[in-house]
Amino acid sequence: MKTIFMRHGGSLRLLLLCWLLALFGAFMPAQAAGEAAAEQVARQQSQPLNNAPVWREVRSGEAHFTLAKGPEAGVLIQSEGNTWRQWRNGPITQYGGWLLIIVPSAIALFWMVKGTMKLHAKPTGRKMKRFSAFERFAHWGTAITFLLLAVTGVAILFGKHVLAPVFGPEFFASLLVAGKLIHNYIGPVFGVFVVLMILTFLRDNVWQACDAIWIRRAGGLLGGDHVPSSRFNFGEKTWFWIGVTFLGLTVVGSGLVMDFPNYGWTRADMQLANMVHGIGALVLLALSFGHIYMGTIGVEGAYQSMKTGYVDETWAREHHEFWYEDVKAGKSGHPQDSVTGARS
Amino acid sequence: MGRMKFLCDAERCIECNGCVTACKNENEVPWGVNRRRVVTINDGVPGERSMSVACMHCSDAPCMAVCPTNCFYKAEGGVVLHDKDLCIGCGYCFYACPFGAPQFPNGPSAFGERGKMDKCTFCAGGPEETGSKEEYAKYGSNRLAEGKLPACAEMCSTKALLAGDSAAVSDIFRDRVLRRGKGLEAWGWMTAYGAEQKEGAK
Repeated sequence: MKTIFMRHGGSLRLLLLCWLLALFGAFMPAQAAGEAAAEQVARQQSQPLNNAPVWREVRSGEAHFTLAKGPEAGVLIQSEGNTWRQWRNGPITQYGGWLLIIVPSAIALFWMVKGTMKLHAKPTGRKMKRFSAFERFAHWGTAITFLLLAVTGVAILFGKHVLAPVFGPEFFASLLVAGKLIHNYIGPVFGVFVVLMILTFLRDNVWQACDAIWIRRAGGLLGGDHVPSSRFNFGEKTWFWIGVTFLGLTVVGSGLVMDFPNYGWTRADMQLANMVHGIGALVLLALSFGHIYMGTIGVEGAYQSMKTGYVDETWAREHHEFWYEDVKAGKSGHPQDSVTGARS
Repeated sequence: MGRMKFLCDAERCIECNGCVTACKNENEVPWGVNRRRVVTINDGVPGERSMSVACMHCSDAPCMAVCPTNCFYKAEGGVVLHDKDLCIGCGYCFYACPFGAPQFPNGPSAFGERGKMDKCTFCAGGPEETGSKEEYAKYGSNRLAEGKLPACAEMCSTKALLAGDSAAVSDIFRDRVLRRGKGLEAWGWMTAYGAEQKEGAK
């Protein structure tokens, strides 16, 4: 009798399970919850004093029923937040901080040893057009928005360690209120400029045979300093592909996730976006120091080329010989109206 | 004052949402913000359990650790409070909090325009002068200063939600568990109070 009853009890329970599974199985998202509910029902009978299924549910991070409205209101405990906290307050802040100290220091040391790269021959006084007005617009738009984002972003990550002790918590907080507004509204503008930059400069940043020579001689660091290159040398192409394109799009994409939480991202999505954004932005900033150095005090004439759009013919021959020859020969030589004669 | 803690007894909570209502009424919480909410697991199924959840005033509070402006501080009794004047509405406390406690008056808005964070204060007000109009407008009641416990726990019809000195709360709960011989899990306690207490941690 006892065994028959137990068998019946077992099959009844099985039936109940099947019924519950069928009931909840109809709703795809509710399926997991349905299984958990069935487990809880079974546990009520088999071990009424042991409520383990409920406690597993509490820790699962799944959303349950609640009357409260709000993002993930049905979740009791989400533990990913702590992982994010450890990453952000740990390696991202620490290694990122060192990166922002070491890279500029190394560049400063390099500059003190090597000094500015000057022209060898005398400037001819004849100018060549290197950047069109639109190219300069794309460049400076990206540059200005990037600097605004870099300053405000660095303040959001490091400000409480560096600026708050100097300015005091109230003034620092009002700075960050402005900083956050700048960061959140300029961010999408930067995104537009990054896309413009990529489209504008893509054509002259593809691999060319002469890039192999540049790599072999480490851009002139090994064996003499004159390495012929096309409009952009391999160093500039690396900055274009890794810096502007890959890291630029990475920080823009991850930034947009955090900037528009109204699209219903979960906390886990935004934590991941924040980590990708932090790492990407810090590496991009470190690389940008190199680019800014080369574009200002590192190379004579480089800043003028992006400011005015024109370079001296000597500069063109010494830094981008193949491009110079192309322009002189009337070939491709981007931009098209390269040989415009003296501008000044 | 001892260490102040919340404890929700899942064996007793009947999902009446009295705590939610009491909190909203006591603190005149902004529209769209629920400092406290009740979550039901396996709703409508035998063995369902409900739990009231708000800021647990963690020992090593994650919100405090990630805030870019250090707007959080530990008040007397280990209560985690924040200064709305310093809040920039970045939402990092919401990313970090295990309990989903930080709330924003504008909700998840475009360009991160969340407004200033609002959360449970353990009915202990905020950094403004105790009992002042400004304190009430920004943070709600300061019942703790009047020698009262949080309104949610005092209103709880089944005394599922306990608030107060850790030792007293633990004693009540331990006694219950011994009498009924089950339901010994003080949910969220390891998450909130498992780490070492940090006083005024930055």
